[in-house]
Amino acid sequence: MKKTRNDQFFSNLEKFVNKVYPNQPQRQPYLNLKSWPTPRDEAWKFSRLGKLARKNILPLNLENQQNFNINKLIKDSISLVFVNGKFEKKLSDKLLSKIVIEEVQIEDFKEIINKFDNLSVKNHPTLNSTLSCSQKFFKIKFKHDSKFYKPIEIFNLGGTENTSIHPFIFIDLGKNTDVKVFQHYSTYAELLAPFEIINLSENSNLEIIKIYDDKINSHNLSLTLSVIKGEANLRSFALIKGGEFTRSEMHTLLEGENSKADINGIYLSSGNQHHDLTSCVYHNVPNCKSSQIVKGVLGEKSTAVFQGKVRVEKLAQKTEAKQMSRAIMLSDKAVSNSKPELEIYADDVICGHGATVGELDEDQIFYLSSRGISKQKAKVILIDAFLNEMISLSISDKFHNIIYNETKTKINKLLANEHE
Amino acid sequence: MPILEIKNAELSIDNKKILKRLSLNVNEGETHAIMGPNGSGKSTLSYMLAGRDGYELDNGSITFDNIDLTQLSPDERSNLGLFLAFQYPVELPGVSSTNFLREIFNSRKKHLGEIELSHLDFIKHLRKVAENLSIKDEMLKRYVNFGFSGGEKKRFEILQMALLNPKISVLDETDSGLDVDALKIVSEGVNNLKNKNNAVVVITHYQRLLDYIKPDIVHIMSDGKIIKSGDADLALYVEKNGYSEILNEKN
Ligand SMILES: Nc1ncnc2c1ncn2[C@@H]1O[C@H](COP(=O)(O)OP(=O)(O)O)[C@@H](O)[C@H]1O
Ligand SMILES: [Mg+2]
Repeated sequence: MKKTRNDQFFSNLEKFVNKVYPNQPQRQPYLNLKSWPTPRDEAWKFSRLGKLARKNILPLNLENQQNFNINKLIKDSISLVFVNGKFEKKLSDKLLSKIVIEEVQIEDFKEIINKFDNLSVKNHPTLNSTLSCSQKFFKIKFKHDSKFYKPIEIFNLGGTENTSIHPFIFIDLGKNTDVKVFQHYSTYAELLAPFEIINLSENSNLEIIKIYDDKINSHNLSLTLSVIKGEANLRSFALIKGGEFTRSEMHTLLEGENSKADINGIYLSSGNQHHDLTSCVYHNVPNCKSSQIVKGVLGEKSTAVFQGKVRVEKLAQKTEAKQMSRAIMLSDKAVSNSKPELEIYADDVICGHGATVGELDEDQIFYLSSRGISKQKAKVILIDAFLNEMISLSISDKFHNIIYNETKTKINKLLANEHE
Repeated sequence: MPILEIKNAELSIDNKKILKRLSLNVNEGETHAIMGPNGSGKSTLSYMLAGRDGYELDNGSITFDNIDLTQLSPDERSNLGLFLAFQYPVELPGVSSTNFLREIFNSRKKHLGEIELSHLDFIKHLRKVAENLSIKDEMLKRYVNFGFSGGEKKRFEILQMALLNPKISVLDETDSGLDVDALKIVSEGVNNLKNKNNAVVVITHYQRLLDYIKPDIVHIMSDGKIIKSGDADLALYVEKNGYSEILNEKN
């Protein structure tokens, strides 16, 4: 049965390659919700799509008429704005000469997708739907031997009820580059299915910070495939706080020696929100390091999932892979699931993993209270500490306060709701 | 003037009576010592005073400056001027020591109706107080109690006491884990804070602390109550003869 799905994926892809692109610009959008993974699918057991698949969602195919306020986090960043999944040049900043935006050839990324010889990727609804629904494929190319001091801020905006939007972005770093990217997901779409490909050439460095803050009824099924060459370094951090259902799924392939990937994240879940951080790191060559560290705070009736998989191939000796998840439950109605998976075929590896779920520590709350700090304030201090540790570990110092502030309002809301 | 009055305090944990009709009065200007075998309820008494969850009285009363303490939360008690130096200070990974100290210092100032210090003025003040306790700047940059040695943790408790300037301080085995030099520094720190308007209760096993912090009254606690009180000589007697004679005498 799995085989059929796999075939179906390829037939979709083929259909799309042969018939539609690039000779036929007027493709028919295709969103086959019925072919989506079911709970029987191991990778989707904790994040069920049934409710979404039963909805009547149509791909949004609308020229943007609206004007948007672009709220940059970094004053001197370069903004790239995508509305309804389409690049909006007039809302975006002018690019530097060493950054090129081009429409990509399917061949460019077909090869990369094929590297992820993994059923759960090929079944991914975003891969399927975005390849068939997306109108244009954007590649942001950073030319080799350059350090880009100004961060890029990519904004995903737009969307309406009962529609889906399908941004496709290919981030391509040339050799010896240094790039910082912020990705904002702030749409009103019923379904946002962003498909991203990251290619890090030799000795390149990418720090990418994804902030998932879609409106309260949105579903975000973000999928990122990264390929990392020798001596290159990917530092990815996801902050999930918005939407009704947000899954950030990343597959990271270390295919050059001495490369490194940190796929970390924080989720802050309230109300009925469902948040999911799913990450697979594939160590295919020796001497690489990876970490998958996730922390979460859950309140009310929210649910969250961390799925972390590390696969170390036989060849990949001297691998160091670290995995950890910690969740703080503010409510006994919230549910947190953690599924670590280690698949190790090499013998000389250091792999560590651990998972904890718990309430805030009563001893710590008492210690703070005994110094005159109210219980409520003590909780804020402890959650801040929990997150701060994670933020310091995961992102550059200069972005620390910005990201910390991004957590702040959500934390206050979480605690206020618990208090009622 | 009495600061603290504990009358016939009874407290149980998991249906086990830990404190049994314990009474204790502490007046302004006094230093008290409480000694007693392990498990006699000394730390339980200190938690009860600080208002820890689960340490509520079954019977009896506690008043502090004539205010009924039993109805107040730990932070309210602290803000009134009650301080507990923990036997086992709690580690707070991720909470910067300096920020924590500034937070508690300014919160106390606010409750005293005094002016809060700016960040810079606070740092200056903190440096001075820390120096007196031989606490290095480096330690203040770390997380609260996180990775501190036993001695560092105890000094950090006294640093907090010095910043909060409490009306009554309960020091629960602050001397354990300190070498002689550290013991001297900590004791001097406590003595410098002592004046005729405040009071200190030290819980200890050892006479040696009482060589530095001279008690006015010494209490021997056993099985949840105070079985004997006396002057400083009582501590010397215990040091020489152990608790057994006093315990036997009582039975
Ligand atoms: N949290 C607790 N749960 C159960 N028993 C406790 C708890 N804390 C203290 N006790 C019991 O209370 C008694 C007094 O303990 P404690 O106050 O720590 O004594 P001390 O400080 O004098 O050594 C002991 O018998 C101890 O086992
Ligand atoms: Mg004790």
